[in-house]
Amino acid sequence: MNDVTAAASVPPSRSPLPMATHAASYMEPPAKVTAHGLNFYYNDHHALKNINLTLGTNRVTAFIGPSGCGKSTLLRTFNRMYDLYPGQRATGQLMLDQTNILDPKLDLNLLRARVGMVFQKPTPFPMTIYENIAFGIRLYEKISRSEMDGRVEKALRSGALWNEVKDKLNASGLSLSGGQQQRLCIARTVAVRPEVILFDEPCSALDPISTAKIEELIQELAENYTIAIVTHNMQQAARVSDKTAFMYLGELIEFDDTNKIFTAPNDRRTQDYITGRFG
Amino acid sequence: MAVQGDAVEVAGPYDRAKALSAFKAGDIAFYWITRACAISVLLILGGIILSLIIGAWPAMKQYGFAFLWTQRWAPSADPPVLGALGPMYGTLVTSFIAMLVAIPVGLGIAIFLTELCPQWLRRPIGIAIELLAGIPSIIYGMWGFFVLGPFLAYTFQPFMISLFDGVPVLGSIFAGPPSYLSVFNASLILSIMVLPFITAISVDVFKTVPPVLKEAAYGVGCTTWEVVRNVVIPYTRVGVIGGIMLALGRALGETMAVTFIIGNSFRISSSIFAPGTTISAAIASEFAESDGLHQSALMLLGLLLFVLTFFVLAAARLMLMRLEKKAGK
Repeated sequence: MNDVTAAASVPPSRSPLPMATHAASYMEPPAKVTAHGLNFYYNDHHALKNINLTLGTNRVTAFIGPSGCGKSTLLRTFNRMYDLYPGQRATGQLMLDQTNILDPKLDLNLLRARVGMVFQKPTPFPMTIYENIAFGIRLYEKISRSEMDGRVEKALRSGALWNEVKDKLNASGLSLSGGQQQRLCIARTVAVRPEVILFDEPCSALDPISTAKIEELIQELAENYTIAIVTHNMQQAARVSDKTAFMYLGELIEFDDTNKIFTAPNDRRTQDYITGRFG
Repeated sequence: MAVQGDAVEVAGPYDRAKALSAFKAGDIAFYWITRACAISVLLILGGIILSLIIGAWPAMKQYGFAFLWTQRWAPSADPPVLGALGPMYGTLVTSFIAMLVAIPVGLGIAIFLTELCPQWLRRPIGIAIELLAGIPSIIYGMWGFFVLGPFLAYTFQPFMISLFDGVPVLGSIFAGPPSYLSVFNASLILSIMVLPFITAISVDVFKTVPPVLKEAAYGVGCTTWEVVRNVVIPYTRVGVIGGIMLALGRALGETMAVTFIIGNSFRISSSIFAPGTTISAAIASEFAESDGLHQSALMLLGLLLFVLTFFVLAAARLMLMRLEKKAGK
């Protein structure tokens, strides 16, 4: 436990506001990511309609809604992953602290170092476990072998994977089980010291035990990172998140404290969805 | 409808075992037909090797292992003095230079096509590559003789000579009188000929990389080059090397274009702008008017090419296995 918090220590200089949020959790934390009038298009298809929301610093925000409602699309605007594909574009305003994410001149590599992403299916790179972690670090920093060893260990500890792999760091990342691979991917994301971590249905390919481990991990990571998670599992959203956003047909229907969404939602459609009447 | 259905059911228990046994007979026949096809490959390969050995036997008895390191090739001497060093050297050098050019260019094209190319340019380049593979080799030979040859002899070679004049090793590699027919000319033509193999196969295997894996790499902040270098190529290594091996196999055995432009000289020269020969070019140019020991020596050359190709492929396999070990598989 101590290891994890120590390992995940983040350079303090990035947030414009002091981060004394956990002491008084009823207070609204400073905004990390802010969307204002955000629209998204796949060619002619209008996939996100006028989204307004903020991700609080060091908070977990869950996105729920039926398939195709735009949850993953929204997540993919946060690190401009859609830029890889022609015909996809976003309009409106999307800020990461003071940086305009949608600025065409923005350095995407830098953005993606600040906004890490974990995918639905585990995506270990075709290299050893050690290299999977060291790879990302090496992109930004020239550090000695021993320092790198330390960083890799820290990252694997913060991915809650160290004890399982410490004796086989030179085995291929692909040789791990699905749950371990997913934690390797989380460790890899943490290793480059991002500010925001996006989880796109991180547990949908995993068994319940691995899922529990990863949910626990997400809560631990929230001490130091701003987290957005897309999930189809309502209980999961209720368990891990501080705030929940319900999306439907490309619109943000309701965005509020998780407790409120799951106990007394304002909108009829939210109520119908969380009680399983559609979706 | 319902009545008909009932009628069929009433028609009663048909012989299920009999129907199944008919299937079984089909299955057995299928098994033996496919098996015969597979075995025929072994038979054909064995037959070719056997007939090559029988044909090459007189030359083997006459020259023994000295055949491998004798450079002189004098079929009309009495008795004929024949050695394989020249053609073997030419085969290896032309293939080496060809791969040196074709691998980076071929991979470069493949990477551009799959990762960077704007959509509208993809088809024209892809079709051009396919057309390149479809050009008959004799056309390449003629183009090499009439276009590439003069350019190399009168423009490129003088430039290289002036550039490396007096430099110990490089100087002699580019030295010599200008000639349309040269090892280097043949190498370049070979590299163009094998380029489509490398590109087409690389493009196909690059496309098999799951997009999410690439996204993950972009997600930690990689540039396109880093994604290609660290994710796409390691992921597709086996396929890419397979393509390169196919290309190398073609380069080692390519006959017609090379015979046309290499000059068929059995003397080994340090200059790549001097004429030379390859095993397949030597066989193609001399086999028609050979007999006796001379013909047997050409058969032996063919057998050597066989062995050479086998070793190159085996070495490639070995390299692949070691790479996989390193990657921790």
